[in-house]
Amino acid sequence: MTSRELLALAVVAAPFLTVAVVVVAPRRAVATVARGGAFASAAAAVALAAVALGSPQHPLVERWVVVDAAAGLLVGVIGVVGLASVLVSPAYLTVPATTGLVRPEWRTRTFYALLFAFWAILAAIPLIGNLGGAWLLVEATTAASALLVGFGGKPRALEAAWKYLILTSLGLGIALLGIVILAAGSVHGGLDALSWRELGNVRSGHGSTLVAYLLLLAGLASKIGWAPVHNWLPDAHSEAPAPVSALLSAALLPAVLLVAWRSSQALSPVIGPSTARSVLIGFGLLSLAVAVPFLWQPMAWKRLLAYSSLEHMGVIALGIGFGTPLALAGVAVHVVGHALAKALGFYAATPLIGHEPRAAGHPADGIGRTRTSLGVVLGISLGALAGVPPSPLFASEVLIVAGGFAAGRPWSAGAAAALLALGSLGLAQALIETTTGAGRTRDRETAPGLRGVALLTCVAVPCLLGLTAAALWLPGSAIAHALVRGIR
Amino acid sequence: MWLLVAVGLSVVVVRRRSVAVGLVTVQALLLAVSVVHASVTSKGPAAAVLAIRAVALGALLLLVVARTREPRPVRAGIAPLVRCGLAVGFALALTWLVPTIGLESRNAERGALALIAFGIVTAATRRATLFQVLGIVLAENGLALAALELPGGSSTAVELGVAFDLTLVALVAAVFHERIFAEFGAGDSARLRSLRD
Repeated sequence: MTSRELLALAVVAAPFLTVAVVVVAPRRAVATVARGGAFASAAAAVALAAVALGSPQHPLVERWVVVDAAAGLLVGVIGVVGLASVLVSPAYLTVPATTGLVRPEWRTRTFYALLFAFWAILAAIPLIGNLGGAWLLVEATTAASALLVGFGGKPRALEAAWKYLILTSLGLGIALLGIVILAAGSVHGGLDALSWRELGNVRSGHGSTLVAYLLLLAGLASKIGWAPVHNWLPDAHSEAPAPVSALLSAALLPAVLLVAWRSSQALSPVIGPSTARSVLIGFGLLSLAVAVPFLWQPMAWKRLLAYSSLEHMGVIALGIGFGTPLALAGVAVHVVGHALAKALGFYAATPLIGHEPRAAGHPADGIGRTRTSLGVVLGISLGALAGVPPSPLFASEVLIVAGGFAAGRPWSAGAAAALLALGSLGLAQALIETTTGAGRTRDRETAPGLRGVALLTCVAVPCLLGLTAAALWLPGSAIAHALVRGIR
Repeated sequence: MWLLVAVGLSVVVVRRRSVAVGLVTVQALLLAVSVVHASVTSKGPAAAVLAIRAVALGALLLLVVARTREPRPVRAGIAPLVRCGLAVGFALALTWLVPTIGLESRNAERGALALIAFGIVTAATRRATLFQVLGIVLAENGLALAALELPGGSSTAVELGVAFDLTLVALVAAVFHERIFAEFGAGDSARLRSLRD
C-alpha cells in the first residue's frame, strides 16, 4: 500500500472510528470524544489535500482509489467544514429541545454518531475510483443525512427530511439505470468496467451511452440540487440543524457534483466532449435562472442561503462545462470559497435564531443594529456569497465567465454573467437589509454560540482573502492543468 | 416477465398498504426464483441477495403497517384507473425513449423500464407515505431485473451494496413514517405542505 493509499484510508477510517468511540463513550465524554475525532479526521483530510495539491501532475489512479487534485480539494473542504461543524455543534445541542427524533438522553450521542457517519461516507466519495462505488456512497449519504435533516423532529423538519429522502432516492434510482446501461455496454463486464478509467471504453455506441449519461446526470442532479430537480434543497437546508446545513451545502453538493464531473470526463470520448459539456452548461444556466428570482425575495436567513446554494452549484456546473484552465481554476476557487462563506452563514444561524427567534421563518432585518458582532458575521458571509470584492467568489465568477468566452461559448458565458450580476444584486440587497435595515426590539444579550462563530469568522476572513489572492496565479498553475486533464 | 410487470401494475392501483407490501415482496422473490430456475449459476449469489433483501424489506414494511394502523386508507387523490393509465403511458414512453440497453433480451429491457416507470408513478401519485416508499422499492425491483439480465451477470458486490443501501433508506423512511404518523395522525404526505415559497 502506498503512502497516498494509506492517507486515503485514514481520511475515511478516522471519522468511522469516531462513530464507534462516540457510541460506546461515557455520556459526559461524548462531546470531548467528538472534538478529538474531528481534529484527527480533519488532520488526515488536510494532509491528503496537501499531498494531492502539492503534486497534482502525479495523481494516484487505481481500480478503487483516486487521489488527484480534485479529490484533494474536496477532501480538504470536507475535513475543514466537518471540523467546524463539530466545533459549533454544542451551541445547537445545548438549546433545550421540545421535540426530536430520539429521546433527550440519546440526543447528543446520536447526533455526533450520525454526523461522523455522514462525514466518513462524504469523504469517501471523492476518493472512490469507480462509478458503481460512487453511486453506493452517494445513496448511503442519503440515509445518514436524512436522519440529520429531520433530527429536530418538528413538523417542518419532518416534511423537509421526507421530501429529501423520497426525491433523492428516486433520482438516484434513475442514475442507477444509467449505470446499468453503461455496465451492459462495457467490454469486460463486472464492477471493474465501471472504474473511471475503463468507463470510456463502453462499446454500446453513441446513442445508448448518451442516454445513459443523461439518465446518470439527471439522477445525480436531484442530489446536487440542480434545477429543475432541486425542490428538496431549500427545505432540507433550511430545516436541518445549522452544523448539518453547512455540511450539506458546502460538502455534500460539491462531492456529488464531482461524481458528475468525473462521469462527464470519462464518457467524453464516446459521446463527444462538446455534448458532455453542453449538458452541464444547461444544468448550470437553468439552476442560475431558477435561483436568481428567489435571491430577490425577502426570505428567512437559512432559506436564502439554500437558494444561494442552488445558484452556486449552477456556477460550478458552468465552470466544469466550459472546461478551460481559466474556468476550472475558477471552479477550484469557487468550491473552497463557497464552502467557507456558506458554512459561516449557516453556523451564524444558531446565534441569529437565538437572538431573533422570528428569523427562523422571516427575513432577519437590522441585526447589525441590535447585535453588531452578529451583524458583522452575517454581513461577511453574505458579502462573500454575493461576490462583493474582494470576495474570492467574485474572482472565481470572473474566471468562470472568462473561461466560457475562452471556450468559444460566448452566449452561455454572457447569459451566465447577466444572471450572476442579478443574483449578486439580490444578495447585496439582503446584505443591506440584514445588517443596516430597520431594527426591531430584541434581547441584545441573547445569541447562543456567537463567540465560537465570531472566532471562526476571524479564521475564515484571512482564508477568504488568501483565496482571492490564489485566484490570480491558479489559472496557469499545475493544479488547473491537472483539473483539465482529469483522470487519464 | 409479464407476471412481474402485472404485479408491478397492481401496486399502482391497489388500495391497501399491506397488499402492496405483499405484492412488491412477491415480485422480488419471483424475480430471484426465475433466475435460479433458469439455472444460471453465475447469477445465483445476486439472486440470493435479492431474495434476502425482499424478505427483509417485506418484514420491515409489514411491521410498519402494523404499528401505524390507519382508521381508513389514505385517499390517493387520483383515481386507480387514471393512475393505471398514467403508469402504462409512462412505461410506453420510457420504452420508446430509451434505446436498446444491451440486456440479454429485449423483453427484459421493456420489463425493467416498465417497473421503473410504475415505481415513479406510484411515488408521484400516492399520498400515503408508505406507498411513496413502495414506489422506490418497485423501481429498484426493475433495476434489479435489469442488473440480473446484464450479459455475464451483474457484480454480486454491487447487488449487495444496492440491497444494503435500499434497506437502509427504507429503514430511515420507516422511522420518518412513524414520526409523521405520530405528529399528523396519518401517514399522509398531503399534510406535509408547510414549506412553500
